[in-house]
Amino acid sequence: MSTRLLTGVLLLSLPFVFLWAQAPGPAPGGPAKGKGKGGGAAKAKQPSRPTPRWPDGHPMLSAPPGEIGYWNSGTGGLTGKNGNNLPTNLENDEVPFMPWAKALYDERRQTQSKDDPHVRCTPPGGPRQFHTPFGLLIYELPEAKRVLILSGGGPRTWRAIYTDGRPHPTDDDFNPTYLGHSVGKWEGDVLVVDSVGYNEKFWFARAGYPHTESLHLTERISRPDFNTLKYEVTVDDPKTYTKPWTGGHYISWVPNQDFEEYFCQDNNRDIDHMVGQLP
Amino acid sequence: MSHSRRSCLLLLFAVLAAAQEGHPLTGTWHGSWGPNATQRTDITFVMKWDGKNITGIINPGFDAMPLQTAVLETKGWAVHFEATAKDGKIVADGKIENVTNVRRSIVGKWTQGGRSGDFKIVRDN
Repeated sequence: MSTRLLTGVLLLSLPFVFLWAQAPGPAPGGPAKGKGKGGGAAKAKQPSRPTPRWPDGHPMLSAPPGEIGYWNSGTGGLTGKNGNNLPTNLENDEVPFMPWAKALYDERRQTQSKDDPHVRCTPPGGPRQFHTPFGLLIYELPEAKRVLILSGGGPRTWRAIYTDGRPHPTDDDFNPTYLGHSVGKWEGDVLVVDSVGYNEKFWFARAGYPHTESLHLTERISRPDFNTLKYEVTVDDPKTYTKPWTGGHYISWVPNQDFEEYFCQDNNRDIDHMVGQLP
Repeated sequence: MSHSRRSCLLLLFAVLAAAQEGHPLTGTWHGSWGPNATQRTDITFVMKWDGKNITGIINPGFDAMPLQTAVLETKGWAVHFEATAKDGKIVADGKIENVTNVRRSIVGKWTQGGRSGDFKIVRDN
């Protein structure tokens, strides 16, 4: 094959490579492509094992006893339908922003998220924890009646979800925090997590959607098969959005590995790179 | 209302307004106004977005003034403030600079009574 012919074939194949890269990510029934950092997701499509379950039958969101693994967080978003995102997601222009929130969101996008607090190692509140690179573990502690979500990335945050039936603290007792106050319960095979009490010191998603202390999140976490975590969140903040809206994404399982030690604060060079649009 | 009770309420307001990444005006802002670079008067704003309006005070403490008008125009991030001081009405028109940054600022023109000048306030971290 001549060099000219080979070049032509390669050029003709580029659109197909692009389309492949844009193809939907994991869906229940098959492993993910593992496009994010931390890699290691299944390399070839294989039938997934069934959802692991606790003795009482509800899904186990961690590695079964005797195994290791983690969720390959780092990809996915709450809007748009590409990649690992849910096919039910809104497009960006469908998010019901209040005018000030839309203007601020647009500014954050136009300045390429240069002021994202996450880059300065603030904790990833809400859905941000589920698309922060370097892995995620979800451990249910039935005896303690809580679920712990451990982030391998960012400032290596952990978050507690109380499943003992306790209510949220009253307004007088609230001290708004990065991770808020979360209570959860199983509805069939879905862990439904209700969270309030967030401060305004972080962006709850990489895209930069604004929020206020009135933010109320309802997360729905499920494991439709062994290799797939489905994450969906309803965002309700009446001081920022004109009505609640929902988005989410799939996350793939990385078997037979633990995530490595990583701390955002250690040799953090991201800040120097977050300069926005150069003139 | 007694001074102590008013001070407590203002302190509470200031604590409640210690937010950073939400509404662009929410938070505590420090700066000054004056007719030139050497004649400056320190000013502090504490503002909060309640979902419909921006409320707040200027100079929390014994000389606090409630913000009577606080308007944000998102196109160009123009702001307009009005309040009543002991020596006359305050009218300030400015613009938020670097709006995505936690240390954003507002700069513009300030009139108070018969005097006028420029002002700049920077949001606390």
